[in-house]
Amino acid sequence: MSSEPIERRVAYIGDRLRGSRCTLCGKEYFKPRNHCGACGRKSYGMTEPIDFFYEEGTLEVCTYVKNPTNRFTKLGPYVYGIISFHNEEVRFPGRITDFAIADDLKIDLNSLEGRKVVPRFRRRHAVDSSGIVPTISLAFSFADGYYPFQEYRIVQPSKQYDKPGIVAYGAYSSKFRIKEGTIERSVPFIDEDSITAAVEAGKMALIHSGVDPISVAKVYVGSESNPYAVKPIASKVAQVLKLGEECQGEGVQCVDAVDTEFACKAATSMFKDAASLVYYPDLKGSYSMVIGTDNSQSAPRGEPGGELDLFVGYGSCAFMFGMHDVIAQFEGWSSITSDTPDFWRRDTQPYPSHGGRFTGEPAYFKHVTKAVQKLTSQLKLEPRDVDYFVAHQPNAVFPTRVAKALGFKEEQFLPGLQVAKFGNTYSGCSPIGLAAILDVAKPNERILVASYGSGAGSDAYSFITTNQLLDKRSRQKFTITYQAENKNISYVDYATYRRFKRGMRAD
Amino acid sequence: MKAKCPAIVSVGRTSFGEHYEVEPENLVWEAGLTAAEAANIERRSLEACYFADYFLPITNKIGLEEGFLSELLELNVPMEITRSFSSALSNACNAVQAGKYDIVLVGGMEKMTDRWDKIRDDLMLLEDPWSYYAGCTPEANHELMLRAYIKRFGISGEKLDIFNLALAEFAVKSHSNAMKNEYAQFHKEISADTVIKARVKTGRPLGLFDFAPISDGASALILTNSETAESFTDKPVYILGYSLATDYITFPSRSDLTGFAATKLAMNEALRSARVELDDISILELYDQSTMMGIVSLEDLGFCERGKAWSDIHKSFKESEDFLELNGRSLFVNMNGGLKADGNPLGATGGAEIFEIFQQLRKKAGARQVQADGELKYGCVHEMEGFGTKAYTCILGLE
Repeated sequence: MSSEPIERRVAYIGDRLRGSRCTLCGKEYFKPRNHCGACGRKSYGMTEPIDFFYEEGTLEVCTYVKNPTNRFTKLGPYVYGIISFHNEEVRFPGRITDFAIADDLKIDLNSLEGRKVVPRFRRRHAVDSSGIVPTISLAFSFADGYYPFQEYRIVQPSKQYDKPGIVAYGAYSSKFRIKEGTIERSVPFIDEDSITAAVEAGKMALIHSGVDPISVAKVYVGSESNPYAVKPIASKVAQVLKLGEECQGEGVQCVDAVDTEFACKAATSMFKDAASLVYYPDLKGSYSMVIGTDNSQSAPRGEPGGELDLFVGYGSCAFMFGMHDVIAQFEGWSSITSDTPDFWRRDTQPYPSHGGRFTGEPAYFKHVTKAVQKLTSQLKLEPRDVDYFVAHQPNAVFPTRVAKALGFKEEQFLPGLQVAKFGNTYSGCSPIGLAAILDVAKPNERILVASYGSGAGSDAYSFITTNQLLDKRSRQKFTITYQAENKNISYVDYATYRRFKRGMRAD
Repeated sequence: MKAKCPAIVSVGRTSFGEHYEVEPENLVWEAGLTAAEAANIERRSLEACYFADYFLPITNKIGLEEGFLSELLELNVPMEITRSFSSALSNACNAVQAGKYDIVLVGGMEKMTDRWDKIRDDLMLLEDPWSYYAGCTPEANHELMLRAYIKRFGISGEKLDIFNLALAEFAVKSHSNAMKNEYAQFHKEISADTVIKARVKTGRPLGLFDFAPISDGASALILTNSETAESFTDKPVYILGYSLATDYITFPSRSDLTGFAATKLAMNEALRSARVELDDISILELYDQSTMMGIVSLEDLGFCERGKAWSDIHKSFKESEDFLELNGRSLFVNMNGGLKADGNPLGATGGAEIFEIFQQLRKKAGARQVQADGELKYGCVHEMEGFGTKAYTCILGLE
């Protein structure tokens, strides 16, 4: 699609699977319309907007696309079919995604038809790397596969706190992994990137929160692998997840959305800003969302900078902050910054460069240690006062060494050490560690998180969990353990991993 | 019955296939010239031209087709471009019946091989954009219809094997018929085994030999009012009834996935306006972009009962016989080889269908001439645009 307005309109409808329902007869339509075909003229202006973004559908019939059209070639071969919703009342076309098909695989269409599917927000097809990234949610995965169907139910908040905290969280890693030795790393499917992961994590966080997206005041997206040098991921997240009030008919959301960048601490840096925002008196009852997302970049093995290729992962993690129904309260924070060039990526360069052995000392260790020490002295904490400790995880060695040097024991830092399951998810890395702890923590436990961003800096936070952590746990099906130990994980070889990571470029 | 009906006095066409060296407007000029020669009509007698091409603006980046044709034909008469031959003919018929013109040229052309490498994206985007965005291919909708069909009519096990064989037999018949068609894209007999092996090779419900090819080609005819028709030929073929109907662009959103509603509507109206009974139609040119589309269309047109066309075809499939026994009546189907073997240059395809019926009704089809027990009374032409988004039907007869 070479036209911006056409791209905008297709994405506006397709990303969210928007439609209409006639308020007179109840008939539903895919794609918005302002009158009902069945009711005729009297229904003009009597339709209401609906969407199928959080719905579960059924794959009615399907076929096997062995030779896709040119723009879809990089996706193929794939299964394509007709998806129905609401007892076949509404039907759309849909591609089955996350379904890598080997060349010699025989597809039994009968075994696929009739299965439940969940809409997935993905890239639509390949374009040149100078073009607008086309997206769509007419991609579906099987509900009994890796990614479960989760109902999104809005719940009225029951308790107000005097200080802000984490209200909900959601983590997303793809179904694909590369396994080398003892380390497994999440690999995006070819139609995934840091934008699609951010939307998925945000969606999970909203489902976990039970919060009406209308009351989200701001979304921050931290990433260092945005496919665009200029154009925020946050605007896509806000539009697709309908954050803030939606101005009907104008296609705009009354919400602030911004991308942040500071290597791997782009997201964690904004935790305090997001929490402060909802503490502001005029924003009482509002929520803010911070998402860290990365399709972590690395040069191929054997090329300069290729050492990272052993560790990079793919994933995203979203946190919602607010004053109501808090699951972990803010206790304190401290941040450290210095101008240390240990890792960087120049504009237009596809892969980052790094300072080799200097990335450990003085970069990572100095900053993380300093931030944590400053925070613990502020709060007058000893290591034994802390239940869980999470540090940024570029590999398994660094966070282990820093945790031990700070006096933490294995039982304190191992639950948050997830790098061997997902790889280094850059901006999503320490947030995924925090999510893993929130999955298992009990009320009234103290969690210390220390991120690290090259360039360089570290943010340390202390959170204390509340009783409401347990109340919301049933709404979190897609936990870190669920993703790490899922029986539907697909393992890919090195060549496939590089191809999937590179994604769908037409040039 | 023929009174006031528009009449076809002559037809012309090019061969279908690849015309590497020829511009599209030259193709239609060649077809038009053949038609004009046959009826001995001077170019200057033409009062208007109705042309069709499905997507030359995309494949050949030609926008004002009328200008190319005006320049080539040295004519300044009204000209209009539509997307299909049947659409051009329909407009021409309306004008002739209204008394606006007495003699018009109807032509269709397409040049698909010029853009063979990108054409599937363009075709799919035009045919059904939302399905395209989801990853649909021009072949996939036919296969989804097949899947929906076998589910709805409970075709499984041994019946499914026969169903799949019947589709293959339909393609075999098309290729066999095209052997006698000098203009056809393919002159190659195939076996049911070949058709089925191509499906197995790609693991899909339909294979290479189930689909019509992409083609270059053109077709044309001269249309006059009934009063003047006999001054050009002793045997004009009259357009007794014609109609068209439309349907959703998004195939999955249609209420019935096992047929084309537009065809049913168009056929009912064409029969009604022609005052012809279905049983009196003895020859049919069917729009078979795929074997599945062909078989389903036999049902939509009313020649077979719902869910039964495949078994009718299988039962009556005999290579020695020209006609099919459908629901107890014999019908000659796609004697030129259909889209499958004659070729499918979209804008020109309908013209080739009419060309065939015109020759057959006049008993001028040469080696392809069908031998009916009784009189060949009426012929029917069926054409579609997109995947059943528009359907046209036309009933032709000598009187």
